[in-house]
Amino acid sequence: MEFTFSLQKLAAYQPRQSAKSKATYETGLALLERGGYASKGEEGWDTIEKLTLAALDQGNLEVADKCLQLLSDKFPESPRVDVLSGIRLEATESTETVLRYYDELLEADPTNSAAWRRKAHVLRQAGKIERAVEELSAMLDTFYSELDGWLELADIYASCQQHTYALQALSHALLLSPQNPAYFLQYAETAYLADDVPLALKMFLQTVDMTDDDDGDLAPGDSIPTGITLRAWFGVKLCTRKLITEPRSGSNSASQTAAPNTSNLSLLDDLSTERLRTAYLNLKNESPPAGEADLISALATLVK
Amino acid sequence: MLGGLMLIVATIALLHAAYSTYEHLSHLKALGRPEGSLPIDIVCEAAAALVFAIVGATVRSPPLREVTWRSEMKRRALEEEEDPRMSFAKFAQRAGIVPKAPTSS
Repeated sequence: MEFTFSLQKLAAYQPRQSAKSKATYETGLALLERGGYASKGEEGWDTIEKLTLAALDQGNLEVADKCLQLLSDKFPESPRVDVLSGIRLEATESTETVLRYYDELLEADPTNSAAWRRKAHVLRQAGKIERAVEELSAMLDTFYSELDGWLELADIYASCQQHTYALQALSHALLLSPQNPAYFLQYAETAYLADDVPLALKMFLQTVDMTDDDDGDLAPGDSIPTGITLRAWFGVKLCTRKLITEPRSGSNSASQTAAPNTSNLSLLDDLSTERLRTAYLNLKNESPPAGEADLISALATLVK
Repeated sequence: MLGGLMLIVATIALLHAAYSTYEHLSHLKALGRPEGSLPIDIVCEAAAALVFAIVGATVRSPPLREVTWRSEMKRRALEEEEDPRMSFAKFAQRAGIVPKAPTSS
């Protein structure tokens, strides 16, 4: 794996007990026992790194320590190994110790953006949100192109209900990765939460445009929306409903986005209702509820 | 498989043509007529080997993959794990669409 890419992955690591990490843990453990990693070259060491992370996921500290020992013996001055050791420390040591460790790392090598991000992550986990935001913003000022950093910043703001700031952070993320519809979807949802309904509507429709399958088997009109497209149509429905029932929300858009005129709005509303009903029919094999509020709450449980 | 076979046949034919050329040239040298043109069958053999190699390599190529970002995103969406920050549940909770669970995330 490329160096910067792997550093970014390390920076974004969060302990997560998923099935995938369990599988990685088991296969990696088998490899470790047999000692076959050294012969596999680059891949072997990558596997050991993944095993360390998976072991930390599963809470097995001895295996993690063993792997870390192997890696630091083989690669003594590597920033990747340093960040990995930091992650291992996060699992057991107190916040101050870990912060001091990362500070030392940063003093020794100020270009190690991963260490900076882990520092912000530790601060966030410890509940010191303002400091985390400060650190993350300083890091992003220096390293603008850390996409995941922008997403993390947006998430921190959103968790504190500061949706306009989250929107700003997400706009940088969109600049950095304009082809990924998932970020557009997140932008649209954040705009909706920030009460900028016309902007949210525009972005939801953008997402639908990006993910609708023009060259699939069926025409878009006949296809059944799934996954991200379904989520985007759901968002369109929410926005049109809000714009119809509260016309004021269409005029006080913080980003000066114009709301669609009344006829277009009702057409959009009908279209999104039809799309949602198709999806509901397909998912549950029964006729969808007629009332709007019922449809919305029923779909809220179905959309993933 | 056919493509691979054709490639092997073409390689053998090319090597054979090369060897024949070498033999022919040393034959001419032995006869004291160092400049003579190659016999036409060796030329034909080399040309046929080229054609066979081209066709075999083309047939052997793996199936083409989609070029659009959309298809790439579709493939990735199936493979990658969901980022918990972008989950729908969080949005629905914050927007007040679903009632907040007793233990908030």
